[in-house]
Amino acid sequence: MEAVTRLVKIRTSKTTLAIGDGANDVGMLQEADIGVGISGAEGMQAVMASDFAIAQFRFLERLLLVHGHWCYRRIAAMICYFFFKNITFGFTLFWFEAHAMFSAQPAYNDWFISFYSVAFTSLPVIALGVFDKDVSSRVCLEVPSLHQDGVNNVFFSWSRILSWMLNGMCCSIIIYFGSLNAILVQAVRQDGRVAGFDILGVTMYSCVVWTVNCQLALYISYFTWIQHFVIWGSILIWYTFLVIYGLFSPAISATAYHVFVEACAPSPLYWLSTLMIVVTALIPFFVYKISRTLYYPQYHDQVQRANSKNW
Amino acid sequence: MNSHAAGTSNGGSGDAAAGGAARRNTRMPKYSKFTQQELPACKPILTPKWVVSVFFIVGVIFVPIGVVSLLAARDVVEIIDRYDEACVPSNMTENKLAYIQNETISKECIRNLTVTKDMKQPIFVYYELDNFYQNHRRYVKSRNDAQLRDASKANQTSACEPEKTTANGQPIVPCGLIAWSLFNDTYNFTRGNENLTVDKKDISWKSDREHKFGKDVYPSNFQNGALKGGATLNPKIPLSEQEDLIVWMRTAALPTFRKLYGRIYFDLKENDTITVRLNNNYNTYSFGGKKRLVLSTATWLGGKNDFLGFMHIVGGLCIFLAFAFTLLYFSKTKDFSVLAKASVYHYFSLTPYTSGNANPICGFGRKLGDHNYLSWNRHPAGR
Repeated sequence: MEAVTRLVKIRTSKTTLAIGDGANDVGMLQEADIGVGISGAEGMQAVMASDFAIAQFRFLERLLLVHGHWCYRRIAAMICYFFFKNITFGFTLFWFEAHAMFSAQPAYNDWFISFYSVAFTSLPVIALGVFDKDVSSRVCLEVPSLHQDGVNNVFFSWSRILSWMLNGMCCSIIIYFGSLNAILVQAVRQDGRVAGFDILGVTMYSCVVWTVNCQLALYISYFTWIQHFVIWGSILIWYTFLVIYGLFSPAISATAYHVFVEACAPSPLYWLSTLMIVVTALIPFFVYKISRTLYYPQYHDQVQRANSKNW
Repeated sequence: MNSHAAGTSNGGSGDAAAGGAARRNTRMPKYSKFTQQELPACKPILTPKWVVSVFFIVGVIFVPIGVVSLLAARDVVEIIDRYDEACVPSNMTENKLAYIQNETISKECIRNLTVTKDMKQPIFVYYELDNFYQNHRRYVKSRNDAQLRDASKANQTSACEPEKTTANGQPIVPCGLIAWSLFNDTYNFTRGNENLTVDKKDISWKSDREHKFGKDVYPSNFQNGALKGGATLNPKIPLSEQEDLIVWMRTAALPTFRKLYGRIYFDLKENDTITVRLNNNYNTYSFGGKKRLVLSTATWLGGKNDFLGFMHIVGGLCIFLAFAFTLLYFSKTKDFSVLAKASVYHYFSLTPYTSGNANPICGFGRKLGDHNYLSWNRHPAGR
């Protein structure tokens, strides 16, 4: 059996899936790209050699059509979004270098940078990768042709990956030049004080965190309390961190000492420019999404819309 | 990985299996909304109504904010005067470097500024530098915060290269290039016979004054070397009161920056002539920098900044897009609103795979395939 599987795999270069329940199927299960083992009457050998284990043959339908569709979409979206958020963040650093004589001076305080992927943008990605659903399981079973999205690699084609990266670049450009022009050179508050390096860093970083999280909120199609909690919670964590870190002695917090509480929060310019920059950065994606789902809908868009009762 | 499809309490299973499970001792895991991913959720779908309302709301919020910001920016009166070129005496314009480095030549320079509009107090005085990279990494690093805060740590001069110690090894307080390059031009303002005093108190951030620069730290061995980078400091005044130094050491973000020099608490009328007696001490000629003197008022939004007015352009764009989408929506509505309702009923059957699906049409006139031709719909036997 494994010889046949190998033959199919090599000759057709397609992803193969093998199902089996007995010890004689172990070879085949290991040879195939995806092995699905059935636990039950013939023992547990197949289960131990497989990638997925189910209890009855009929569960295979649900595994493929429902979970296959969901997981494909989630993982593809998660990877693309991950690139996007890191490009948005990283490129603001690069644009800053152009104005800092390429001397490798980071635009942000060191701990801001360290915590970006850990605290401020990590949980929403997990929520995307674990919980996102575009259609319910019933629709997945009723419209099996949705499974073809995976076979045709609709969600992870090069054009998708590159367009997410392009989105990241555009967002970072809008954020960087927006923050720059809004905050510098003149006074940022009524008391005449100007913004230095630290205030620019906080402003840009806040815009990045807001943009990246709101972009996710625009993308996902399934909002439970978990998604709300992690998305808005991450933004809240950023501000909380900023306040708490700013309270540590200047020996630890260096340029971030009191910067939010003293300098940024009382400045209306800071809040208004954050609002403006975030919305402007999200408009390109929003317009793309509109034109895609309303004017050039793909099959899964149409299924998703027919599924909802809003029309 | 186990039991992906273990809980099939909904969808896809026939009657026989359900009956059998009830009779046997089933090992099906307990049902929970979380594990079955059936938590109550909202599933926003992008419809034309949503699109139009979102754009409209964004436009309605942004346009007033943009207009208000523009008005605030228009209220700010700013006088900018570039003086580094003009203050070089005519016989030395070829050799500005020699001029600035020659200590015997007087650096005093008189400039006349005309007030273009009424300016209400407080009027802020800034000096603006150009092409000065205070954000260069070696420059930003070149300071020692522990030394600035604590008198007992005067010997800590790490990272302050090359302005760490004097020739005989004495530590410089404050050490580092940032302090060494302290700006030292001074400005004196008079209007006719009236002397406009500049209030130089409270120009730095409070947190800097109180927590980053010690009350008991005094400058020592400062600017003692052969190469003078900028101002000297009075060794009798503690660092927490040397506000010019504190303002200077809060490094700027970009090569063009302004720093607060002081405040003037006088009202200036339109067409007043302000005479500035400045000392053109600071050497920006060796790196092609520019120096400007700026007098500016401030509003609730800060200084003169037209950029937030950009908001109302973005807002206007959003309103325009809202109208465009509304037009498109109404022009196409005949096609899909009726048919979309039909498709909702026909696209969904309560029993899976039954035939009788009419031709579902969704979207702006784009047709889907006819599900009657699917092989499992041709023989409607159910499961």
